[in-house]
Amino acid sequence: MGASHAVAVLLDDDLVTFNRVVGVVRRRNLPITGIAVGPSHMTGVSRLTFFTEADDAAADRLVRQLEKTFGVRAAALYRADDAVVREVALIKLRALPAARADLLAALSAAGATLVAERDGTCIVEIAGESARTDACLQALDRFGILEVARSGAVALQGLDGAGSPPPSTTLSAPHSSEVTL
Amino acid sequence: MGEMLTGAQILCRELAAAGIDTIFGYPGGAIMPFYHALPEFPGLRHILVRHEQAAAHAADGYARATGRVGVCVATSGPGATNLVTGLATAHMDSSPVLAITGQVSRPMIGRDAFQETDVIGLTLPITKYSRLVPDITQLAASVREAIAIATEGRPGPVVLDVPKDVQNQKLAYEPGPRGGAPGLAARGQSGNGGAPTSASLEESVREAARLIGEASRPLLMIGHGVILGNAYDEVRALAEKTGIPVITTLLGISAFPESHPLHLGMPGMHGEVHVNRAIQHADLIVGIGLRFDDRVTGNTAAFAPRAKIVHVELDRAEIGKNVKTAVGIVGDARTVASLLTDQVRARNCDDWMAEIRGFVRPRAESFSGDLSPEAILASIHEITGGRCTIVTDVGQHQMWVAKHYPYERANTHITSGGLGTMGFAVPAAMGVHLARPSETVWAISGDGGFQMNMAEMATMVQEGLSVKMAIFNNGYLGMVRQWQQFFHEKRYSCTPIWSPDYVKLADAYGIPGWRVEQRTQLDDVVRAASVHRGPALVEFVIAQEANVFPMIPPGGSLSEPIEAAPAGAPAV
Repeated sequence: MGASHAVAVLLDDDLVTFNRVVGVVRRRNLPITGIAVGPSHMTGVSRLTFFTEADDAAADRLVRQLEKTFGVRAAALYRADDAVVREVALIKLRALPAARADLLAALSAAGATLVAERDGTCIVEIAGESARTDACLQALDRFGILEVARSGAVALQGLDGAGSPPPSTTLSAPHSSEVTL
Repeated sequence: MGEMLTGAQILCRELAAAGIDTIFGYPGGAIMPFYHALPEFPGLRHILVRHEQAAAHAADGYARATGRVGVCVATSGPGATNLVTGLATAHMDSSPVLAITGQVSRPMIGRDAFQETDVIGLTLPITKYSRLVPDITQLAASVREAIAIATEGRPGPVVLDVPKDVQNQKLAYEPGPRGGAPGLAARGQSGNGGAPTSASLEESVREAARLIGEASRPLLMIGHGVILGNAYDEVRALAEKTGIPVITTLLGISAFPESHPLHLGMPGMHGEVHVNRAIQHADLIVGIGLRFDDRVTGNTAAFAPRAKIVHVELDRAEIGKNVKTAVGIVGDARTVASLLTDQVRARNCDDWMAEIRGFVRPRAESFSGDLSPEAILASIHEITGGRCTIVTDVGQHQMWVAKHYPYERANTHITSGGLGTMGFAVPAAMGVHLARPSETVWAISGDGGFQMNMAEMATMVQEGLSVKMAIFNNGYLGMVRQWQQFFHEKRYSCTPIWSPDYVKLADAYGIPGWRVEQRTQLDDVVRAASVHRGPALVEFVIAQEANVFPMIPPGGSLSEPIEAAPAGAPAV
């Protein structure tokens, strides 16, 4: 997706805070891909993840501004090549009886799972790296894709520390005693 | 079981309990319950403005003059939208303003009800915090929280949007703990929760002290943070122990006495040549409580090319935002300046100071006629004995005041710096006057800015606010005209501006007014206006094409000032 950095934000679980955080990103006109938000490891705290293409300094400035936003508990920056990044996609497609065997083989090859099927239509699920979803979509294209829902990717800092982490991952963040990213 | 109170009464109780004594506002439909309760609280003086924008500026002026939160109140819809410019002004200049807005009743929200506006949505990017109070049970805590957020750490404006039915709800009220909920200070503040450990603070202070010891051409550059942090003595002690010359940014003016031998002046777009040259020759800049705004740095790539920068800032997000820093120190100006003073060894910068004195140029002739802005400001200073706060608007007069008024006392210069809000001076001066009733307050505006909020003269008359209004009238939107002269082929597009007869206008409001056209009239009029008990207006008729020199072109380098009007510009 051409993003250089993943940004992860722990924020209070309410829409105003979400709005405030998105506003901080929006007003800087940074290109954003795949924004995802969901529960974190803490009650009442959501985790928001997005990806951006920016140089280290600009990405770091963004994280600093996010950190001081009211309702943000912590924000961190991961280099895209030093993060574990995964997403889920649901794909609705035609599943005509004549092509069923062919479809099951394609799903198996792509690592996708059939989760619902009715009247010549089915829904499959694929989880993993975004590239895997892309490949799956390509492989299933010939069956006739009707609808795609991708979750937007989430990310965690990788464990083997390939490349040095950008500065903001090493600094403590507000409420650092309670919050880790 | 506590006393049964309405939401509106709880609002007033909480404001009074927080030490609020003045509210600037304007009533209307969705805030009527609040205004119904207000007379029960004689400790809350309400100032009825003529436009909600003025309420926000006045609260801002009050906040800047006192260091405490300034409060403004408006109804929903147009009342709230009129506050927006004032809130953005306070946000850019880190001023603690609390805005309370009425909102339509909860069942009506989202139905495009009469005077319904999404105030929270409107103010999200221009406030430190904003919140719609969803229920009376959360009201008292919300007020305490809002005041705490506005004032703690780097100050800023907050909005509380209170639906009309919440103002009318009833609750058995129990006064809560003072000073906000625990842990609040750490939120919405990059400087607190994100502050480095004391060990790393010590380490960075030691490194900064080492750089100061090694530098041969160091400068101190101080900003609004020194005023907000009440760090005058500590910064002065640091300057005096090291002999480092001191530069004050626009909002740092009056943070350091201008008669002090170490004081250099204002940097940047309209900074004196020797100040900007000092920056370009410096090998170390210690910036305290400023954000290296583009009007200070010019082109950042060419800014202070020889200097390492030590940046002391309460807001960690400012460090490294605009300029590359060698050492960033997160902390309040007072604490860090004091730690630095302890760490540095005593030295002087006599050779460097002599070098800077060599940069001083005779001031370019910028005024024709004998009524120069400089003479006007000298007269105000002399006649008030310097016991005066000057509130300026935006434009040429703002720069003349910044450059020429000899500020000696702390926090006596108040202006809209970051947002550059024309129309700020007159209403903000009302807030400053209420904060400092025993002191003369001059609101200095141009003929453009004055006409933006001159309706507030009525507020001054009705509320007995003794603000002295000076209008520098050159018949133009002068700063824009100057840019047109320098950069737009002298095409004075839409900058000539007509003014009413200000003396008659003053008369219509029942206040004294004077027009000064000659140097010989100056002192008598300034004296008469200053001693008059109540608002007074003075129009100073100055040269039409007076310019502010020197000037760094926008985006230009501090090394290349314009010191005279371009000769080649075609006549209009």
